[in-house]
Parts: sequence; C-alpha cells; structure tokens
Amino acid sequence: MSKDILVIGGGIAGIQASLDLAEMGFHVKLVERLPSIGGKMAQLDKTFPTNDCAI
Amino acid sequence: MLDVGRHPNIELMAYTEVEKVEGEAGDFRVTVRRKARYVDEDKCTGCGACAEKCPTIVPDAFNQGLGTRKAIYSWFAQGIPSTHTIDPDHCRQLNGKKCGICKKTCQADAINFEQEDRIIEVGVGAIIAATGYDVFDPSKIPEYRYREIPNVVTAIEFERLLSASGPTGGHLHRPSDLAVEAEIDALEKKARKSEKALKRFEEKYGESSSEFFEKYERGEYQDDDRKKWADKFKEHLGTVKPLETLKRKAEGFTVAKRLAFIQCVGSRDFRFYPFCSGYCCMHSVKEAIIAHEHEPETTSTIFGMDIRAVGKGFEEYKIRGGNQSGISYVRARVAEITEGENHNPIVTYEDTRERVVKSVEFDMVILATACAPGKEAPELARILGVELNEFGFFKTDRAQPLDTTRPGIFTCGCAHSPMDIPESVAQASGAAARAAQVLIESQMREAS
Ligand SMILES: Cc1cc2nc3c(=O)[nH]c(=O)nc-3n(C[C@H](O)[C@H](O)[C@H](O)COP(=O)(O)OP(=O)(O)OC[C@H]3O[C@@H](n4cnc5c(N)ncnc54)[C@H](O)[C@@H]3O)c2cc1C
Ligand code: SF4
Ligand code: SF4
Repeated sequence: MSKDILVIGGGIAGIQASLDLAEMGFHVKLVERLPSIGGKMAQLDKTFPTNDCAI
Repeated sequence: MLDVGRHPNIELMAYTEVEKVEGEAGDFRVTVRRKARYVDEDKCTGCGACAEKCPTIVPDAFNQGLGTRKAIYSWFAQGIPSTHTIDPDHCRQLNGKKCGICKKTCQADAINFEQEDRIIEVGVGAIIAATGYDVFDPSKIPEYRYREIPNVVTAIEFERLLSASGPTGGHLHRPSDLAVEAEIDALEKKARKSEKALKRFEEKYGESSSEFFEKYERGEYQDDDRKKWADKFKEHLGTVKPLETLKRKAEGFTVAKRLAFIQCVGSRDFRFYPFCSGYCCMHSVKEAIIAHEHEPETTSTIFGMDIRAVGKGFEEYKIRGGNQSGISYVRARVAEITEGENHNPIVTYEDTRERVVKSVEFDMVILATACAPGKEAPELARILGVELNEFGFFKTDRAQPLDTTRPGIFTCGCAHSPMDIPESVAQASGAAARAAQVLIESQMREAS
C-alpha cells in the first residue's frame, strides 16, 4: 500500500488537487510535461469576473 | 503556485511524462520519464544570465509565438520551477555546432550537455488526471482566415498582447505592425553590420564611402579590394533604403482601438464541437473590459448567438462591460472575415434583428476558440487504461462525475470537460477527496 498520490498536469486543477492532498497529509507527486507548472492560467492577463491577476 | 514548489509533501516533477501504469487502485506502479533539460535542476538559480548571452532566437510558445525567447529559456519569468531548459531542437551545441556560450556564462556550473532522460518508477495509491485542454485551431474554419489575415488572433494570443509581461508590454500593437517592427529591427541589425565593414574601408583609404563610390562609378579604381568596398556599399544601400520606407510607415502605427470578438469559434458548431465551451463568452467580456482600461478610446463589438453569463456575478459583469467599457453585443453568427486596407479585418454577418447582411471594418478581430480536448489525451488514456468520451475528454459517469473508467484514477478541470477556473478548482478539491478515500479505504482494509 502506498501513501502517495500521483497528479498528472500542473494547471490550476492539478495544482489545487495537489495542495488539498498535501494539506491532508498525503505525499503528492505532481507531474507536468512543460518546463514549469501553471497551465493556461499562467498565460492569462487577468481573470473574470473579478479581474484579479492570474498568477 | 509558489506553495506547490515549497510544500514539503509535494514532489514537483516538471518536464516529465508518464510512460507506463501497472497495478490497481491502492497500489499502482507508474513509470515516468524525466526529460533532460541539459541544466542541473539543483544547481540552476534561475538567474537567466545564460539566456541573455545565448545567440539562438526562437519563437516563444508561452507567448503564442508573438514574441521570442532563446534556445536556453525559462517557460515564463515567474515559472515554477525556475530552472532553465535547453531546447534540443534549436540549441547549436546539441545540434553538432560549436557554441557552449551558456555553459561559459553560468556561474552556478549548471549546464550539462551530457544530461540524459531519466526513467523513474514511483508507487502510488491513486492517480488524478488533470491534463487540461487545447485551444481549438481556428484555421479549421477557412472563412475566418486566421493566419491569412495577421490581425485576426485567438483569445489566448490576445491575452498575451494585453499582459504587461507579454511581448508588447500590454500595449495593443497589431500583429501586422509588429511584423513591420520586427523587419525594421532585422534591417537595422544588418545596417549596423555593413556600416562596420564600410568603416574599415574608410579608415584604410581615408575617404567616405559615398565619395569613394562616386569615383568608383566613374571608373577611377579597378583593384579587387575597392571592388569589395563598392559591393559592400551597394549592399548597404539595399538595406538602408527599405529601412527608411518601413520607418516612415511605422510612424503612422497606432494601437488597436476598434475590436471585434467572435464567439463560438468551434463551439456549438456541428462541424466541430456541438457543446458550449462555457468560459469564452466571459473571457471576451473580460478582454474587452481590460482593453478599454488600457486605452479608453477602445470600443468592442461582441458577436454571438447569445452571451452565456451563467455564474456568480457574471451577468452583472457583462452589463457593467456594456455600460462602462464601450462594449456592444450583437446577436449574429459571423459568416466571413476578409482583409481590407491597412490589414484591417472586415467582418460580414447577418444582423438577425434587422435581417440584413452587414460588413464592418475593425482594427483587430479576436476569435473566442472552443475548449478542445487535449491532442495527447488518447495516448495518456491508453497508458492509464481509461476511456475517453465521444469528444475526447476523460469519460466519467453522472453518478460519480470525477471517477474515470478505471478504479483509483480520477479526473478534474478541463480534462473532464470545458469549465472555468472556479469550477476547475472546485472539481480539483472533489477529485482530491476521492483519491484520499481510496487510500484511506485500502489502509483500513490492510489494518483489519
Ligand atoms: C483565452 C482564455 C481566457 C480565459 N480566461 C479565463 C478567466 O478569466 N477566468 C476563468 O475562470 N477561466 C478562464 N479561462 C478558462 C481557463 O483557462 C480554464 O478554466 C483553466 O485553465 C483549466 O485549468 P486546467 O488545470 O484544467 O487545464 P490547463 O490549464 O490546460 O492545465 C493542464 C496542464 O496539464 C499539463 N499536461 C497536459 N497533458 C499532460 C501530460 N500528458 N502529462 C503531464 N502534464 C500534462 C499541461 O501542460 C498544463 O500545464 C480562459 C480560457 C481561455 C482560452
Ligand atoms: S549552447 Fe549556445 S545555442 Fe545552445 S543554449 Fe547554450 S548558448 Fe544557446
Ligand atoms: S461560452 Fe459563449 S462563446 Fe463559448 S461556446 Fe458557449 S456560447 Fe459560445
């Protein structure tokens, strides 16, 4: 039995899932195929409907 | 995002791909390939000195090709990890040419051209596939002439143009104008080079190139060296003249002020995806509001069958855009985009209220492209041993919306279906809870 969890994809969904699991005490391996995480959200200037900065 | 890099319980493996999955829920063995960056992740400080000195310029994918980066690069400035990466397709050294400038520059001694991919096996109890989506390629709709008309762009390209950290520093320069400016830069570089060469001749023979050239044309000189000088001078004129013309043209450039947004490009279209992508109406409203904040003279027309502002605070946002940010909403499906004078796109549509066909000229057109399933999702589904649905998103069941077809493997975000950020975050928390459940259940089984 392993206490680890694999998350594939480091966009906002993968980031959130990893953080939730890590906070619960699980060890997470987060795999992202690009050189850095962030996914599409990192490319956005600001986000609706609050116009907060994306990163 | 920073928290992910720092959290003691998260091991971040970027530039990595999953190759094989064996076992079952509670006990999977996963093989991953950590691709060679040719930069040591433990040594690289992310200072960027290497990239500054690297001579190889490459279109920047993070900026959707609207800007450039070097062959050694960071994905984006605040990227995590900040480790730089050498692009093996473009680096001179890795393609058998002499270079190694980055290695000489790097103070941390992080560059390693001998680095190889590493294959690693990890044991995990559950898996979450959060691989997201692709932006629909609008060149599949020939009547919109994306790529043919430079000032027809996708919404994600437009995000980069709006961004203060983007290729234009947040100024709405049109791609047609950017192309002219890039040409000016290239010609200036060439002119500087030929000026240097001319200077060497001028110093050697003690006269200006133009004086010399007049005499040369009259046949006063016959020697080889002066012939070379004359050729260089002709080449220089061939650079400087078009440069002047382009510079005069560039003086007239202004930022884009008349914007058109076209909704449902690839969505709600039976030729492509019948579904609504959910977020694109809202990002067009957002982009129009931000463009107006940057330049108060901006007006935007959003062409759509309807504006789907379904979400907390969305309808108010849409109305505020109309009242305060110069947005008009036109109910229409755009039939065609053609190119007018000065690379201005002309939008032809049927106004369904007035029942007439209209053509209107804009400075720029932004295409609200569909949320397309990831191109590599079929390959990942094969590796994971799960099914995809009829469009290519991970298949789930209504009763267990985050469970894939294989026990112990879950999905969330746009890998599941089109959705915006708040929905992706909510689903991610749900998927995390489902994955935790699998681990806790198998722990309890082992204990009893
Ligand atoms: C122009 C535009 C503007 C938008 N503006 C907004 C907005 O203002 N507000 C809002 O709420 N939403 C907005 N959205 C929607 C938003 O982009 C999505 O809701 C969100 O990015 C979905 O996150 P995700 O993590 O599911 O997917 P993604 O952001 O696509 O992330 C997926 C990640 O997985 C990685 N990956 C893919 N395949 C693999 C693999 N095989 N192995 C490892 N890693 C892999 C990818 O590289 C990527 O990092 C906008 C969308 C567009 C197109
Ligand atoms: S070896 Fe040269 S081309 Fe390759 S990344 Fe380093 S500086 Fe750039
Ligand atoms: S969100 Fe708007 S633009 Fe996107 S598919 Fe749905 S209706 Fe069309």
